[in-house]
Amino acid sequence: MGEEKQKNQLEEVFVKYKPIVTFRVKKSLGAYNPDCDDVANEIITNVIEKIKKGEFRGESSVGTFIYTITSRRIIDYIRQKSKVLKHVPEPASYPDPQEQIEDKERAEMIATAIKKLKPKYREVLYLYYYKEFSREEVALKLGISPRRVSERVNYSQKLLKKLIKT
Amino acid sequence: MRNCKFEEMINEYLLNRLTEDEKSTFEEHYFNCPSCFEKMVERDELIAAIKYKGQEIFKDEYVAESAKGETWWEKATSFLTPKQWATAAISAVLVAVIVFGILPMLKPTSPQFYIYDDAVRGSKITLISPVWESETVPSKFEWQKMGEDVEYKIYIYDKDNVVWNYATKDNSIIIPVNIKNTFVSGKIYSWQVKAFSAEGNLVSLSLKVQFKIHDPE
Repeated sequence: MGEEKQKNQLEEVFVKYKPIVTFRVKKSLGAYNPDCDDVANEIITNVIEKIKKGEFRGESSVGTFIYTITSRRIIDYIRQKSKVLKHVPEPASYPDPQEQIEDKERAEMIATAIKKLKPKYREVLYLYYYKEFSREEVALKLGISPRRVSERVNYSQKLLKKLIKT
Repeated sequence: MRNCKFEEMINEYLLNRLTEDEKSTFEEHYFNCPSCFEKMVERDELIAAIKYKGQEIFKDEYVAESAKGETWWEKATSFLTPKQWATAAISAVLVAVIVFGILPMLKPTSPQFYIYDDAVRGSKITLISPVWESETVPSKFEWQKMGEDVEYKIYIYDKDNVVWNYATKDNSIIIPVNIKNTFVSGKIYSWQVKAFSAEGNLVSLSLKVQFKIHDPE
């Protein structure tokens, strides 16, 4: 591999894949598990080392290569933890973002925007995400098709994006 | 705009509704699809905001729900549409014919049959909170709902000893104050939920999850 090309690839790993790896780690370990950042950093370092050593030969996409390393590290982590704790804590699906100020502000902003939506859209968000009814249950409750439930949810997201930008 | 076919899995993934296989397929996919990843992050933020601020955001919806004033009959029947009621009625008649009409005729050779609740059998309960460290003694314990007609038994353990247990049909419970007062800061407790069908069979159980209460210092 040419040196220039490798340099670009390493940069790409950092810029493009760091957020993806971090997301995946948080989803598996729980967003507020204090180990998340360390585990994610370790994975990225590991990926960079492997690429430098030429272990990535392009048999799969870079994405899949990094995905495999990430999954392996997460499994290791859980195995280690379960040795110590006997029972691995399941990650909380959505704990309060109290600790991270940025997250909290972001959540407030989105909340304010949701309040501005028409009842038609709020209702879908309420049933689908807050009450966690399935798409089919929401459809039944509102007397619309499941397809329409998804459409409304997606459209709400679009409206929110606009509201937050302005 | 053409949408990626995986996009539909974003919600199910974020709400933990995918099977292990689907989950890994989708995870590998978003490592390779920037568009799905971007959409998922946006959606994740939306869900996090709704979970965090929901009570405040949906004040009106709460009021609307309780003020709907459905009669008990509407409430009891509204979970199925008329069409589904018709189907249910026909099925009920068919079952009656089979059970009372045909089965007795086959009695000498017919095997015994059991009714299993397939909706919950084999699935796992996911505990929602508390799942790790807790600033104060948690008073509310919450887990994922499994379906209708399921009774949950929650157990709180100090090491392997049950400190408290309770049965409920809800998917959350507030623990009594006198029990709450017995929790010691800095100590590790764990909890677990078991689900029972209407017939009293154990149909599912959660992992035993630990939680620790911070020292207030």
